[in-house]
Parts: sequence; C-alpha cells; structure tokens
Amino acid sequence: MLAVLAILAATGIFGGTVLYQTANYNISQTISNYQGQVTSTAYVLEQEIRNNAPQGFGDETNKSFLQYTLRKHGGTDYMLFRNGKLAGNLTNYDVAGQGTMPEWTMKQAKYVIQRTDGHHILIMGKQFASSGEGIYDLVLVRDISQIYDDIQDQVWMLLLVYAGVTALAINMIFWVTKRLLRPLNELQWTATLISEGDFRRRVQVRTNDEVGKVAEVFNQMADRVERQVEELEEVSERRKQLLGSLTHELKTPMTSIIGYSDTLLHVKISKEQQKRALEYINAECKRLERLSGKMMSLVGMYDNEMIHFEEYPVQELLNRVEALERYHVAEHKMQLVMTCAVGTVPMDVDLMESLLVNLIDNAIKASGEGDTIDVLAVNNRITVRDWGKGIPPEEIPKITEAFYMVDKSRSRKVGGIGLGLALCKKIAELHYGHLEIESRLDAGTSISMVFDRMKNMDGSQEEMG
Amino acid sequence: MKNKILVIEDDTAISDLICMNLTVAGYEVLAVFDGDKAEDAVLEKGPFDMALLDVMLPGKDGFELMETMKAHDIPVIYLTAKADVGSKIKGLRAGAEDYIVKPFEILELLVRVEKVLERTGKQKDVLEIGDVQIQLSKHQVTKKGKTVGLKPLEYDLLVLLAKNKNVAFSRDQLLNQVWGSDFLGETRTIDVHIGQLRKKLGLSGVIKTIPKIGYRLED
Repeated sequence: MLAVLAILAATGIFGGTVLYQTANYNISQTISNYQGQVTSTAYVLEQEIRNNAPQGFGDETNKSFLQYTLRKHGGTDYMLFRNGKLAGNLTNYDVAGQGTMPEWTMKQAKYVIQRTDGHHILIMGKQFASSGEGIYDLVLVRDISQIYDDIQDQVWMLLLVYAGVTALAINMIFWVTKRLLRPLNELQWTATLISEGDFRRRVQVRTNDEVGKVAEVFNQMADRVERQVEELEEVSERRKQLLGSLTHELKTPMTSIIGYSDTLLHVKISKEQQKRALEYINAECKRLERLSGKMMSLVGMYDNEMIHFEEYPVQELLNRVEALERYHVAEHKMQLVMTCAVGTVPMDVDLMESLLVNLIDNAIKASGEGDTIDVLAVNNRITVRDWGKGIPPEEIPKITEAFYMVDKSRSRKVGGIGLGLALCKKIAELHYGHLEIESRLDAGTSISMVFDRMKNMDGSQEEMG
Repeated sequence: MKNKILVIEDDTAISDLICMNLTVAGYEVLAVFDGDKAEDAVLEKGPFDMALLDVMLPGKDGFELMETMKAHDIPVIYLTAKADVGSKIKGLRAGAEDYIVKPFEILELLVRVEKVLERTGKQKDVLEIGDVQIQLSKHQVTKKGKTVGLKPLEYDLLVLLAKNKNVAFSRDQLLNQVWGSDFLGETRTIDVHIGQLRKKLGLSGVIKTIPKIGYRLED
C-alpha cells in the first residue's frame, strides 16, 4: 500500500510539475510573441513617424496622423503616448492614472500583467524616439485571460484525472489486498481451530504462488501436529492402561494378605485352615516381591545411564545363562541345549542375561517332564525354543503387553506375574532389535531376539542401513 | 437350611478366602473360576440365594453375567478392585445389589452379604445354634422347643452373633451394631448382656470370650 501511495504521490508531483512548466511555457511564449510584435510594431511606427510625419501642422493633425499610423500598423490592442501624454488609444481600456504606468525603456519591451476584475491583462510597452520629436511609448494592452483560463481548465483536468486514477488505484489496492489477505485469513482461522483442538483441519491450496506454497507447508505442519497428538494420546492411553493393570496386580495379592490375616485374627477356623491361610499370605507376599523387583527393572531400563554396552562374546553369554538356569531346568526334569555359531555382539550383558533367563523360564513353564529347551545363536538372532503347549494364535500379539497372561490362574500358580515378555520386549528395543514369536498349539514355541542393526554376528559386523 | 451362595472369582487365593469365611459363618458355598462355568453352575447346581461376582473376569465380562443372574432371580454383589465412582455406578446401574472394593475386611463382606439377603427376602428365617432356635420373622427364641424371653437388646445381640458365626466382634463393634453409634454408655453393658444370654440360653460354651478382642459365637 505504501508503495502505491508513493507512486501516486510521484505521479501527482510529476503531473503538477509538467502542468506548471507547460503553463509557464505558454505564458512566456505568448509574452515572447507579443514582445516580438511590440518590438516590430514600435520599429515600424518609428520609421513611419520619422518618414511620414506631417511637418508643421497642428496638434490635431499630428494626433490624427498618429492614430492613423497606429491603426495601420498596430491594431486595436495598442495605445500610443507621446512625451508621456496619451496620443492614441485603440483599445477599450482607459488609463487609470498616469503615475501607475511603469517606466518603459527603449531597449526592449517590458511588460506587466495586471489583474483586474478577474481578468489577466498584459500591458507591454516599449519606448522609441523619432527624429527628435519626442519620446513615444507604445503600449500593448491585451486581455490574456484566455491563457489563464486554459491553464485553469488543464489543472482541473489534471486534478480530475488524478482523482479518478487515485480512486481506481485505491480500489485496486483494496481488491488486491483483500485477495491477498483472504488466504492469510483462512490460514489464521484454520490455525486457531487447530490450536483449539480440531487437529484434522487443513487449508485449501488454491494457487501455485508463494501463498500456495505457504498453504502447502502449513498443511504438512498440521499433518505432523495431528500425528503427534495421536501418538501422544496413544502413549497416554497405554500408560493409563498400564497403571490400571499395575493397580490391579497390586490389589489382588493385597486382598489375600489382608483377608487372610484378618481371618486369622477374628475367625475361628480349623488348624488346617489356619495353615492354609498362612501359606497364602506367604505366597502372595513373595509375589509382591517379584512384582516390585520386575517393576524396578522396567523402571531401571528407562534410565539410560544404567545401560552399559560392550562387545561381548555370545558363547560366554550363553554359558552364564546356562549356569543360572541349570538347577531350575534340572528341577523340572528337562534339558537345556545351547548352540552358538556367532562371535561378539554389542550388548548390555546383564540385560541380555535377563532376557534369556526370562525366555527360558517361560519355556520351562510351557514344557513338561523330559522335554528339551533349545537355545540357538545364529546369524543375527538368538532363539529360545520349547516343545511345550504353545500359544493360541490370537494371543500372540498380546503376550508382550505388561501383565498379560494367557492362562492367568495357571501362570499365577507357578508364580508368574505377566511382566516377563514386556521386559524382554523393552530389552530388545534397547539393543536396537525386536522379538519374533512363533508358536503352534501343542507343538511348541520359539521366541527370537533379533538384532536389526546387524546382518550377522560373526565378528565381521556389517551394519545394515 | 443354609443360604447358598455362588462365588465367581478367578484368583484362587481370594476365592478360597471368601469361601472359607462364608462357610465358617454358616453359609453353603460353591466356587467357580470363570464366566462360562458360572452359567453352567446357575443352570445345574442351583438354586442360589446370592452371587458374589468379580467384575474383572477372564473371558466373559462380569457385567454380562448380570443378565444371567437377573434372569434367575439371583441378587449379585460385585467384587471389584476399581474404587472409582464410574465403575461403581456402572455396576449398580447394571443391577447389582451392592459392591465390595478390594481389599476388604471379612466383617464387611459378611455384613454386606447378610444385608443383601435380608433386602431380597432370601434370608433364612430360622437361625440355629445347637438346640437354640431363632425365628427372625416372629422375633422368637426357643431352647429345646420352649420359648425364652429376651429383652430387645439381648435379642439383637444374639441375632448379630448368630448371623456371623465364628467371627469375633470387639465390644465397640457390638456396641455400634446393636446400640447404634450414638450410645454414650460404657462397653460394660455388653458384658452384662452377654452374661444374660449365656445364662438364659445355656450358651456359656458357645459364646466365647476372645481375649484382647471380644466375643465370638462358635459352632
């Protein structure tokens, strides 16, 4: 808008200047013309009077002669003075007062423009002398109002045109501004709606120019915001569910402990029942202990400072795990077979140990007497396989959820709390990998820790993109 | 004739806890561990006077089972770990008579069970303690068939103890339940009334004094 105003001002000044110059030029041209005219007329008169003036006649004759000569060579615009006295006046004007006449010179035609009654009168005069008879003043009196009127008309024209152009320009400015602002308004409106919570709003991209590009980018940003909000809501939802599950998992053993101890204090029950009550209290307290232990691990794994990566030979990892699980496996009269075909892997040894122990414990719970549990490390994965009861296909996606147990009552009987696979999943993530679970009912289950970043773990680690 | 209660709770420890206490208090119980078995039980092992139902069951939703219970005219008390108002409202709206939030104390459970049975008119009319019979509808107490006269408060005290067999009450609890919480007198009153009951009904060996706790009617 400022630019346009500047242009308008410049145009105005330009137009005004041009007009002014033109006017001046006109006037000076006119005056020049008349100057020329007066000068030549004065010259002619001078000649005439010198050559043809009647000699020795009276004043009247002189006057007539002068008037005749004036008429012949001058015209109705002229006055002639002889020695300061009016000798002939062909104009319609009267001399207002002698003293008011400017001093005419012989050298050139001087002039003055007199304003009278709204007219511009050009009064131009030149002196000449003729054969010692006196000083003559030839005065031209001409109404040049027309020129001024013309100028005035032109000024009005200019102003009119100028006003018209300005009005047009202002209109255009408004129109263009409105057009420009409309997408901006739309952007603003949409942004407001989005910030108030309607994350699906977008703007329409109508043009291919800068505004269009802004709109496109705006939409991309809104996409991102919407996705982010969705993710956050999902996370929040999952966290709420986790908390709900946790609360439930805590309340259940507490109910038993409080209930049984309350019973022991107040109710008459048989010795047998008392013993059972105490056993329940004991078992549930241990369950709480395991729960809090696993919760601590889960929490600990979010604290990245506690994780410590090193290049560790997988064979040694398997050896350690075998040592840990040896008695547990023997207790259940099962077999544990370890096979390692790989070298070293960057890992947090304690966490990996935890993961394998968890998987093996699960395998033990699923298997029966005499069964074998295989642990196999090859390519970029470590697999724990059992030949036990398997997992129903529809449950497989759910089993890594915190506290989820396929067979709740049986799991609880053998001490499960449902956190094992959730922990393993987290450990896998921390090692830049994931868990793969395959299972068939009554045939067996295999769960693999897959290291996504590595093609194979044979010591020559070619990292995958 | 005992009241028969169906206990539907998937956690074995809690199920045993409830069943043990209800049995000892004088009820007959049947425990099932999931929704499907519950439906079977209602159809095959009924009739039940009441059901205790855990809302968070594996498989069939606790709320879904409400319909089945209602259809068989079995009042339900919900067991829930969720103490939030929303869940409670949902449960009550679904038609439950009452709810108990875990963890709970045994006395609370017993009292709620008793109240529901009373409200729904399923409570057995006659309470028996050895050769003493209490007919609740008639407010009559007989020993060996002969009517025994009891003062109103003695009667209330006896009924409370008889409805909660084998459960120990503190003097304060007895005071609250029978006299109401506005009573400003001494807990010694209880001792006097207990003494009277023992004498009038020959229940000295039955209404036992539990040191440091209170009194308990044992069978």
